[in-house]
Amino acid sequence: MTDVKGRGDPAASQRAAALPGLRSDEGATREGRAAKAARRRAAETESTIPVELYGLRRGTVTLLTTLAFLFAIFTLVPIAWIVINSTKTQANIFETFGFWFARPFSFFHNFSLLFQNVDGYGTYIQWFGNTALYAVLGGAGATALSAFAGYGFARFSFRGSKVLFYLTIAALLVPITALTLPLYLTYAKAHLINSLWGMVLPSMISPVGIYLMRVYVDISVPRELIDAARLDGAGETRIFFRVALPLMVPGFMTVLLISVVAVWNNYFLPLLIFNINTRYPLTVGLGLWSERAQNSGNAQLFPMVVIGGLVTIIPLIALFLILQRYWRGGLLLGSIAN
Amino acid sequence: MFTGRRGRSAWIQRRDRRGIWFVVPFLVGFVLFMIVPLGYAIYTSLYTSKIIGGTVFSGASNYTQTLQSSQFWSGVVRVIIYACIQIPVMLVIAFFFATVFDLGVAKFGRTFRTIFFIPFAVPAVVGAVMWSFLLEPQFGPMVHLANAFGFSGTNFFSPSLILPSIIVIVIWEWTGYNMVILYTALKSVPRDVVEAAILDDTPLWRIIVRIKLPLVRPAIVMLVFLNTIGALQLFTEPLILSYFETGSVSANYTPTLYLYNTAIAADQTNLAAAGAVILGLVIVAISTASLLFRRRRGEFS
Amino acid sequence: MAAISLSGLTKVYATGVVALDGLDLVVDDGEFVVLVGPSGCGKTTALRMVAGLERVTSGTVSFGDRVVNDVSPRHRDVAMVFQNYALYPHLSVRENLGFALENKKMERAERDRRIRAAAAILGLQDLLGRKPRQLSGGQRQRVAMGRAIVRSPAVFLMDEPLSNLDAKLRVQMRSEVLRVHRSLQAATLYVTHDQTEAMTMGDRVAVLQDGVLQQYDTPRSLYAAPANVFVATFIGSPAMNVYEAGLETSGSVPTLVLGSQRLNLPPQIAARVAAYQGRKLIAGVRPEDLAVSSGPGLVADVRLVEVLGSEQQVYFSVDATQAGGAAAAADESAQAGILAASAPNGMARLDPRSGVRAGGRVTFAVDPARLYFFDPDTGRAIGR
Repeated sequence: MTDVKGRGDPAASQRAAALPGLRSDEGATREGRAAKAARRRAAETESTIPVELYGLRRGTVTLLTTLAFLFAIFTLVPIAWIVINSTKTQANIFETFGFWFARPFSFFHNFSLLFQNVDGYGTYIQWFGNTALYAVLGGAGATALSAFAGYGFARFSFRGSKVLFYLTIAALLVPITALTLPLYLTYAKAHLINSLWGMVLPSMISPVGIYLMRVYVDISVPRELIDAARLDGAGETRIFFRVALPLMVPGFMTVLLISVVAVWNNYFLPLLIFNINTRYPLTVGLGLWSERAQNSGNAQLFPMVVIGGLVTIIPLIALFLILQRYWRGGLLLGSIAN
Repeated sequence: MFTGRRGRSAWIQRRDRRGIWFVVPFLVGFVLFMIVPLGYAIYTSLYTSKIIGGTVFSGASNYTQTLQSSQFWSGVVRVIIYACIQIPVMLVIAFFFATVFDLGVAKFGRTFRTIFFIPFAVPAVVGAVMWSFLLEPQFGPMVHLANAFGFSGTNFFSPSLILPSIIVIVIWEWTGYNMVILYTALKSVPRDVVEAAILDDTPLWRIIVRIKLPLVRPAIVMLVFLNTIGALQLFTEPLILSYFETGSVSANYTPTLYLYNTAIAADQTNLAAAGAVILGLVIVAISTASLLFRRRRGEFS
Repeated sequence: MAAISLSGLTKVYATGVVALDGLDLVVDDGEFVVLVGPSGCGKTTALRMVAGLERVTSGTVSFGDRVVNDVSPRHRDVAMVFQNYALYPHLSVRENLGFALENKKMERAERDRRIRAAAAILGLQDLLGRKPRQLSGGQRQRVAMGRAIVRSPAVFLMDEPLSNLDAKLRVQMRSEVLRVHRSLQAATLYVTHDQTEAMTMGDRVAVLQDGVLQQYDTPRSLYAAPANVFVATFIGSPAMNVYEAGLETSGSVPTLVLGSQRLNLPPQIAARVAAYQGRKLIAGVRPEDLAVSSGPGLVADVRLVEVLGSEQQVYFSVDATQAGGAAAAADESAQAGILAASAPNGMARLDPRSGVRAGGRVTFAVDPARLYFFDPDTGRAIGR
C-alpha cells in the first residue's frame, strides 16, 4: 500500500538511507533511542487507520479513554492494595484506610517474617524456592518436550502421526481437575505423595505447548531447509538442534513463558499431592496461611499473607513487563483462533 | 526400491518413521501421567473400601451414589449458572476493549493493554486473597465504598452475594487474557477490507458488528470453549473465600470442591474416583456441546 | 470541467520520508488517467490521498471546484478497487455488491436492480451466492469492480487491480476494466507499475519517479516525445538504448560522437542540439528504430540473438558508455561477475531475415530523425 518503503527499489532505499534520522548509530545515545521510539510510535499510528475516518462524534475518544481508565483502576486496585498493606502491621491492615500508608512502617519487619516458620505452618522462603524449582524444571521440561513433539508432528509424517496429534489436542478437552484427582490416587498407591518429580513431571505434559510449537514450526522452519541439510549428510538430531531450533526461538520463548507461569500458578495439583508443608509451592502455602490466619487466632499471619502475596506476584509481573515481546505470542494464541 | 503406501519410496518412509522419536518423550509422559491415572481411577471407582470387610468390588454403586447425590448436582447446576453469567459478561468487556484498542479510538492503548493483562500473572490464590481482603464484610475497603454509595451493610460474603463476588474476582483475573486474544484476532482483519467499508460510508457500529465481529468468530468460539472448561472447574476462588467466610461456601459448592472434599476431607477415595470420572464426562460433554453449537451457528473457517 | 484536480499534492511521513512531492494533475470528466512508475514512486500514495485514506501534508485535492482535503472519504463519493480486492470475506457476492447500498438505506427493490445490472455487466450472475474464497482471482477482481459500479460514483480509483493476476488473464481483464469505465462514465484514476497497461489503457498517463511527476501526456506523446531520460527508458518495451555522447564538428559537418564512432547529423537535427556543440550529451535510440545497414552506419558486436519468429531481438555492444539508469544495470552485471567486455549494452529489434549472428558484427543504419537527445546533467529532453 505505501510503496515508499523502497521494496526492492535500490534508488529509493538509497535515498531513504541518506535522509536524516535513519542512521544506525542512533541506538547508542539516549536522544537517538528516544527519537527512534518516537518514530516507531509514529510509524505505528501511521499503520493503523486514522481515527477520524470512523466518523465518531466529538468526545467519543475521551469517553472511551475514560472507560479504559476506569477498568485500569479496577485492575490495579488489588495490586495497589497489596503493595500498600504489605507495609502495615496486622492491626493497621484492618483499622486504617486501605489505600494509604499508616505508621508504623512495617515492611521490613513483615518481610523478615517470610524467613521464619511461624507456628510450624511453613516457611515462605522455602515455598518460594520450591515454586521456583518446580516452575523452572516443569517449564523447561514442558518446553523441551513440546519443542521436540511439535517438530516431530510438523515435519514428519509417520504412521499414526495424525491420530496421535488429534489425540493430544483432544486431551485439552479433558478437564484438569478430573485428571488431577486420578493422578493423586495413583501417587497415593505408588507412594509418590510429596515427591518433587510427582509435581514436575506431569507439568511437562502440555498439549497446548505442542500445538503452539507445531504451528510455529510449520510457519518458520521450511521443509526445504531440512531437506537441504539432509542432503548435506546431517543426522536428524543434528538437524533439529542446529537448523530447526534456532528458527523456533520466538515460539520457544512463548511456550516457555506460558509453561513457567502455568506451573508457578498451579494450585490444585500441589494441593492434592503434597501434605507436608516443606514441599508446598507458594500457592498452596499462601492458601494454608489464609485459612490459618482466620481460624487459628494467630493474627500475625495476616500481614504475612499480604506480603507473601506481594512477593509471589512480583517476579511474574516483572517477567511480563521485561519480556513483553513474547506476549505478542498472543499472536500465536490468536493463531489457534484463526 | 519398493514403494510403500501412497507410493512413497521406502527411504522417505524410513526417514519419516524416525520422526516418531521426537514425539516419544511426550508420549511416554502422556501415557504415564494421563492414561495410567485415568485407568487407575476407573479401576478404583469400581471398588468400595469399608471399615469392616476391606475393599470389595462394588461395580457401579459409587457411580449411582454420586449421580443420586443432590449435593453433587447442586454443585453442577451452580457452576452452569455461574458460567452462563460470568463468561458472557467477561467476553463482552474483553471484546469491547479489544475493539477500542484495535480501532485506536482511545488514547494510551498500549499502556492500558499491558495493565489489563497483569492479572494473568497473578495466581488465582493470591487474586482471591487480595479480593477477600478488599471485600471483607467488616473492614474491607469495598464495604466502605458501598456504604459511601448508600448501600450500607453490604456483606459481600453472604450466601446471596458470594457468587457475584466470585464472578467479579474471576472477571478481574481473566478479562485481560481474553482481551489480548481478541485484540490479536481483530488486528488480523485485513486493513483494506475496513478501508473499503469506510469508502462505502459504513457507520462504525456496522463496521464492528457486520465486518470485524464475524471475522473474529473463530477466536470467540475458542474463548467460549476455553472459558467454559475453566468455569465448570471452579475451585480455587470459592475455597479461598471459604477460609474467610465458611458459612457461604459449602463443601460441595462446586463439583471440583465436592471431589476435593470427598477425596481428602472424607477420605473416600473410591467415591471420589467415580466422581472424577463423572465430572470429567460431564465437562467434556458440555464443552463439546458449546463448540458444536457455535460451529453450527457461525462460520468455523 | 475538471473532475479531479491535484495541486501541489505532497506527502511526507513522520519518519521524514517524502512519498510525494508537489504533484499537479488534472483529470477531466469521464477521462481514464493512469499513474505509472516503479515501486516507491508515490503513485499509490497519491491515489489514497484522492480517496481520503491518507492525510495530505500539503497541497489540495479538488473534485470539480470543491476542495475535498477535509472531506471524509465517506462523503467524497469515491469508489476504489484495491490491489487485493478487499472483498468482505464472510459475505456472499450479492451481499458484497449490496453492502454500500444497504448503508445508504436503499430499498430492497432498487438494491436488487442495481446488483443485477452490475452482475450482468461483469458476468457475475451465476456467482451471486458464492463467497470470495470460492472465486478465482479474476472473478474476485470483477466483484471488486462490481462494488464500484453499483454505487455509480463520481470518481473511480484503482490500485494495481491486475497485478495479482497471471499474465494471460491480465490482458483479458484490461478490456474488462475499460468496459467498466465506459459504463460508469466516471473520472478514473488507475495506478500501475506496468507501463504496458499504462500505454494501452490510459487516455493520459502520468509518469512518476521518487514522488516527482516526470511527465503527464497521452501515451503517444510519451512515446514520441519523452520529457526526460527516465520517461524515455521507462516507456516503451524493450527500453530505449541511451548512451553518453558528444557533439563535434568535423569539417563543417555537425557530428555525433558515440564512443569511437561518428555519425553525421543533417542540418535540421543539428540545429536542435546546436546549444550542445562541443559538449557532452545523452543520445538515445529505440530498439525498433534500428535496422541493418547496407552501407555505413553504427558498428556493433553481436552478443546474443533471440529469435522470436516475428522478429529478432539482437543484443549488441558498442564502445560507447551507457547512460542514466541503464548505467546502474551495467554496474549490477559487472558486480555479478559478467565481464564488462562481453556484456551487451544495447538491443535492437530486427526483421527476422536480417541474418545477424551472435559473435559477429553488425552495422546499424541509424536515422538521425529517430534519435532522442537529453541533457547529461538534468536528463531533460533537448530540442523537441
